[in-house]
Amino acid sequence: MGVSKTKQPLRKRGGKARSEERRFAFLFVMPALLLVVVFRIVPLIWGFVLSLTDARGVTEGAFIGFDNYAELARDPAFHDSMANTILLIATLPIWIMVPMLLAILIHQGVPGGKFYRAVYFFPATLSSVIVGSIFNVLLRNDGQLNQFLELFGIGAIDWLGNSNTALLSLIAVQLWATFGMSLLIFLAGLSTVPSDMIEAAKLEGASMLQTFWHVIIPTLRPIIEFVAVVTTIGVLTNMFGLIYVLTAGGPGTSTTLPEFLIWIELGRMNRPGYAAAISMVLFVLMAGIAYAQVRIMSRNVNV
Amino acid sequence: MSNISITDLRKSYGQVEVIHGVSLDIEPGEFVVFVGPSGCGKSTLLRMIAGLEDITDGDLEIGGTLMNDVEPAQRGIAMVFQSYALYPHMTVADNMSFGLRMAHAPKDEIDRKVKDAARILQLEPLLDRKPAALSGGQRQRVAIGRAIVRDPDVFLFDEPLSNLDAELRVEMRVQIAKLHRTLSNTMIYVTHDQTEAMTLADRIVVLRAGHIEQVGTPIELYEDPDNAFVAGFIGSPRMNFLNARANGPKSVEVAGRTIPLPNLTADLRDGTALQLGIRPEHLDATDGVRLMMDVDVAEDLGATTFVHGTVGGETLVAERRAHVGNAVRELEICFAPDKVRLFDPDGARVR
Repeated sequence: MGVSKTKQPLRKRGGKARSEERRFAFLFVMPALLLVVVFRIVPLIWGFVLSLTDARGVTEGAFIGFDNYAELARDPAFHDSMANTILLIATLPIWIMVPMLLAILIHQGVPGGKFYRAVYFFPATLSSVIVGSIFNVLLRNDGQLNQFLELFGIGAIDWLGNSNTALLSLIAVQLWATFGMSLLIFLAGLSTVPSDMIEAAKLEGASMLQTFWHVIIPTLRPIIEFVAVVTTIGVLTNMFGLIYVLTAGGPGTSTTLPEFLIWIELGRMNRPGYAAAISMVLFVLMAGIAYAQVRIMSRNVNV
Repeated sequence: MSNISITDLRKSYGQVEVIHGVSLDIEPGEFVVFVGPSGCGKSTLLRMIAGLEDITDGDLEIGGTLMNDVEPAQRGIAMVFQSYALYPHMTVADNMSFGLRMAHAPKDEIDRKVKDAARILQLEPLLDRKPAALSGGQRQRVAIGRAIVRDPDVFLFDEPLSNLDAELRVEMRVQIAKLHRTLSNTMIYVTHDQTEAMTLADRIVVLRAGHIEQVGTPIELYEDPDNAFVAGFIGSPRMNFLNARANGPKSVEVAGRTIPLPNLTADLRDGTALQLGIRPEHLDATDGVRLMMDVDVAEDLGATTFVHGTVGGETLVAERRAHVGNAVRELEICFAPDKVRLFDPDGARVR
């Protein structure tokens, strides 16, 4: 009885109490919100405004409407960077399959699994400049890789200097450098697959392959999608260091990705307005891909 | 229907042996319950029969065939897991038909078997749902349905009801009993709950620390336990054990009172330390040995009251088919000497 007595006056002031509580809650959210607005939203809007000007470093740019975007549409370097981006995204299944398969093998308990786990993760701790320097040596015309291939009678290939192989070499190096993180995420995901579910499949006569395909991979689906999103964002925004050290976007434009093009336009050509326009396109591209992936993810949220 | 024959079955993990030579014969169509406290090896034993654990030593025969090294799927068994182990991304129908689909069975056969199982378990309206949209009891029925679809010789249940709330557990217990009557398959059921064991089993196997303590029908275990462990494990509330001392060939002394035990076949040696076992429900007799009990707490459940108290320093519980009330400080208990079970200090039965 005492409870309802104390509750009644509270209910009378309910509206006031709730708004007070809401104000208080807002206070807690504020610092994070402020950071997001100041460091994400404002630059985004600023970038968009900048992309509508012909700013050239020191001079305040004049408003030129969508001229920068029109120029982009005609810029062959931008076209090439987009084609390279599409090729890069086309390799996404490899970026997911390689760490997933290795994680499954380690999870199954291959001998030395812990050792492999450490070794695979190790490159993720290296800076891209160091990774780039290592592979600059390995992939040189007289580098160790070509020396190794010579043992099998395969002639030297200029991995980084040939426009046919440069981008693929770059992708391979980035994959080597970063798949350890995805592998760890998959291992964490695998440890949450209930073992009695796998045992149930075994009792029902499912083969190893059937168990992978029908039980383990569907259970891992949210993890796969998470890795896909993170990897996509990673390859589109974190390859600058490697490109800079290994190929500088060349030969020609064969390894120029939008990210690198932004830097060229900003740093070398001193055209912040134009660079901002490329940034906006890259932003929209990534937002689109991420949105599509999140949609797929939320569709399976009730599994 | 298949018989199962286990001979001197052993299981070791490295140097540690956890199942110490278990032998057991299970008749076709029999409902056998493995019961025991946690860590007694009952689940390990079941998993060895299922083929999920390797057999270190000994023989396992199902339907007359040695199964030690046969793949789990080829043993003619189906298992229901404690966690249900349903595939969360598949509908109920797909969960139930998984094994058949993996074996590429014809579609009409799959449909027929799934429908049959769904009818038996009243799952028809749920076939298109996913496990996440089901209640615990419904999930448990799907798990059983998945086992039925496999049309096994032997059903294995690994603590199937322990994740359900008390009310649902009773309901599912009845369902499983009915299922056994309908299908009349051989069933092995693992539980730590002696009530489930008593109500479901044709025969109960009581396990402790990797050994079989006793095998028998529920009534045999209740009336004629081989040792103090079985006597204490079967029956609820558990049997009272009082320190006793032999003071004649057919009588013992408990809390200063001499209790004649004319039904003993053995002659007791004077002065031997013993344990006298008497169940709470047997302390309400009209004539026999009378003792006064100092009451600590009376738990009134409505139909029965469990009275906790002491007699000469020994704690015990007495059951009364009546309201006792909280004010009672002393209670006369009375038991027939033929309800007394006598055990030596090591727990072995003295008959």
